[in-house]
Amino acid sequence: MQLRIRRRRAAVVAVVAGLALALVPVAGATSYIYWWQRNMAPNGMGYDRMTAHNHSYNELYFGPNAGWSSEVWEVTPAGYRHFDKRCSGNCFNAHPRYYLTYAYCSNRDGSTHFVYECMDQW
Amino acid sequence: MVTVKRRRVQFAAVLILTAATAGLLSQFVLGGNDKVKIGNGSVSVLARASKAADSLPQSVLDYPFADRNFASPRGDGSRLLHVEGTLRLYAVPGKGGMLCLVEVDDAAATAGGSCADRRILLTGSIFMADRQEDGSRLVVGLVGDGHTYAEAEGLRVRVESNAFVLRSVAGSSVTVGSPTAAQTIDLGG
Repeated sequence: MQLRIRRRRAAVVAVVAGLALALVPVAGATSYIYWWQRNMAPNGMGYDRMTAHNHSYNELYFGPNAGWSSEVWEVTPAGYRHFDKRCSGNCFNAHPRYYLTYAYCSNRDGSTHFVYECMDQW
Repeated sequence: MVTVKRRRVQFAAVLILTAATAGLLSQFVLGGNDKVKIGNGSVSVLARASKAADSLPQSVLDYPFADRNFASPRGDGSRLLHVEGTLRLYAVPGKGGMLCLVEVDDAAATAGGSCADRRILLTGSIFMADRQEDGSRLVVGLVGDGHTYAEAEGLRVRVESNAFVLRSVAGSSVTVGSPTAAQTIDLGG
């Protein structure tokens, strides 16, 4: 009798563990390019506002000839700004997944420059 | 009639000469702080013997940024510039004449990087400015040989191993300089 109960318990634990593993989202990073090979005017913004995500990475890439001010940052749907980084040239910011945010990038130089891409990861 | 024509020609010549002189003066003499040059763009810390601590963390090499910007996939030639608490700064040779500054903070589990053409070191710094939750900025920078200090709002720190760290910067600019010259870095609004 006790053996039967143990087997049932083990089976229930296995089913619960299996369901948990199946339902928990995969931890791998998903990348999205939200600005692709265009000229970016001074203070013009690229943004990924498709869906807010728990971001872990944001990047702006002018190209191999970088030399201009840039900025990457994130904004929550409520409008709070986080993980704001200014750089001279190509720029990335990697951080823990603290907030549900939209990702932004910008050319902060005084003139228009070609930006190869801006991308985010979550 | 001939005299009037000659005077007009003389007047035009003087006008052109004045305009050219003004143009040259504004370009080469009155160019402002942005045109001040310090050093020759070399970064001597990159030439020192390599140590185990100079290697970049694997997590940084795994970011897409590394593949696009670093001269080698392993970040060969990187040098640890500065350690302050849990913050570490590295210089990394970049592709196509670029040089990169990488920051890693183990406690905060954050990392960042900035890569730019080395020529920028003649007139300023390869820097990163991170906005903190209190609105101030943490500014870290890589400068060329010859720079001895960085300063913001009267707080001056020494440049060591071609790097500086300025905490709690409230203003929109930082000054880097040598004993004889200074350059202004615009952090933006």
